[in-house]
Amino acid sequence: MNGRQRLLAFLRGEPVDSLPLMPITMMFAADHAGVKYGEYATDYRALVAGQIALADAYDVDYVSCISDPAREAADCGARVAMFDDQPPAIVETDALLADKARLASLEPPDPHTGRRMADRVRAAALFRQQVGDRKLIEGWIEGPCAEAADLRGINTLMLDFFDDPDFVHQLFEFTLQLGMRFARAQVEAGADLVGVGDAAASLVGPEFYQQFVWPYERRLVQALHDMGALVRLHICGNTGAILGGMGQLGCDIVDLDFMVSLADARRVMGPQQVLLGNIDPVRVLRGGTPESIRAAIAQCHRDAGPRYIVGAGCEVPRATAPANLRALTEYARATAP
Amino acid sequence: MPDLHELGEAIKRGDRDTAAALTKAAIETKIPAQEILDAMVGAMDIVGQRFQKNEIFVPEMLIAARAMKEAMGLLEPILVEAGITPVAKAVIGTVEGDLHDIGKNLVAMMWKGANFDVIDLGTNVSPQKFVDAVRTNNAQLVGLSALLTTTMPAIKKTVDAIKGAGLDVTKIVIGGAPVTQEYANEVGADGYAPDAASAVDVARSLL
Ligand code: B12
Repeated sequence: MNGRQRLLAFLRGEPVDSLPLMPITMMFAADHAGVKYGEYATDYRALVAGQIALADAYDVDYVSCISDPAREAADCGARVAMFDDQPPAIVETDALLADKARLASLEPPDPHTGRRMADRVRAAALFRQQVGDRKLIEGWIEGPCAEAADLRGINTLMLDFFDDPDFVHQLFEFTLQLGMRFARAQVEAGADLVGVGDAAASLVGPEFYQQFVWPYERRLVQALHDMGALVRLHICGNTGAILGGMGQLGCDIVDLDFMVSLADARRVMGPQQVLLGNIDPVRVLRGGTPESIRAAIAQCHRDAGPRYIVGAGCEVPRATAPANLRALTEYARATAP
Repeated sequence: MPDLHELGEAIKRGDRDTAAALTKAAIETKIPAQEILDAMVGAMDIVGQRFQKNEIFVPEMLIAARAMKEAMGLLEPILVEAGITPVAKAVIGTVEGDLHDIGKNLVAMMWKGANFDVIDLGTNVSPQKFVDAVRTNNAQLVGLSALLTTTMPAIKKTVDAIKGAGLDVTKIVIGGAPVTQEYANEVGADGYAPDAASAVDVARSLL
């Protein structure tokens, strides 16, 4: 089976030859390909070449358009700092929606003509041309809560939940529509799966999650399925308190970061939910040895059971030893679900 | 008679208007400033502990801190009049190259809540800027935050710069998700705390 066949079969619940492998690589992939991260994040050709080189070298089952959270915000007009060899960063002190009133006149950018969003859509199209049917192609969008934080400023959004719930709902409605449009463009260009990064959601407790975040994530997941895409949810951080809701979104894959217990997630989400993760990217994957990594990932597999995809809790860190990442490949390829 | 218990409750639930009104009333009825302060500090302690136990989350913690700040602003002149000075002067910031500030903000707020005079330098702060701020403010305490493994070396650089500038009496406390006690020992920091509540205990124990 090639990576695409393996993942599609696995997600349909059909038998596969080995565990699927889906670690998130961004800076690691750019370094692997020898391009500066500034270029990787702004030139789809560099990203596509880097992802394919990495996926081939490590037998990873998919390639991804992910690079940084600032693409949508940048095209909405937010101030974003660019760096030579670091990910672009939104300038939070000068947030686009520092003044709430601006939301009323904000238009969701067109993903085809926007600068940074269009670059990602082109990546999806080029992936389709170049990997064909060998690897699964992943598009990427910011989730409703994360994008709201990107536009409003994450510290301010946290206070808005109390101060102005109506505004939060309006803002999430905007970010939901933005995400759906961006996802549709990537799916039409060739993405099989859409990754939804909703990191800021790990900062709120279960009540705000259910009241504000979940309904929009749920609508997003449904819309992505209606487009014919598979859905992967990635919430960085400690999501221990919101696992119940995450399990009811209907995602094809739920990622878990390292601070969450996979055993807990399995208990809460039931036996069918596909879980992905979750060794500590820094201490275990970068800091460990191939032996300690194999032991840690085997423990994840035991905790998660057969509906499990091999990966780390979050991005594979820069300067991870190749042998360490290869330990994930070896475990995945040598093991049946 | 204004109720200091109610003041604490208002801070805990982040109700800044009530917290301000009760503080004003307490000041007007000549409740000793120290007692008002104790009520506020006690409330923030409990907020920190609840956060530590995952009973409340970042939004709840931030609004409680905001209510505390509002009440403290009213109390400050009275504290000065009464000759009650902050326990210590502290400088805090996120180290160079790092833009994460939510955790640092929470620590800054808990320190303010413990009646420290806190100067917050923001994010992406160079070692030199820390040194300058410590010197100008005569700070007894410095807090360094880093959330990225790639910026952890900037903690060491900053510790070296502060110690190297002859500011050895200043106690340095470090924190942030990837930081550990071992790392604190390794770089010669005076203390480490895993969360905002224990950041107060550690700071108190060092001073
Ligand atoms: C929100 C967030 C962001 C926001 C930050 C917004 C902001 N204003 O802070 C944005 C989107 C900007 C961001 C960007 C990036 N991020 Co980020 N981010 C996070 C996230 C989801 C939450 C961090 C947070 O606020 N936690 C909540 C607070 C309350 O916890 P805390 O910070 O740990 O603080 C507590 C303690 O650590 C301690 N503490 C903190 N500081 C101090 C200081 C002292 C003195 C003391 C005593 C204690 C102390 O007390 C606090 C309260 O209890 C984490 C994932 C995670 N769960 O940690 C990733 C995470 C930190 N980010 C990560 C990465 C890789 C990045 C980017 C490089 C991503 C990218 N590829 O674009 C960029 C880097 C930008 C930069 N140059 O800094 C990684 C770091 C991996 C690593 N260890 O190196 C993480 C861990 C995600 C992951 N799982 O991989 N991020």
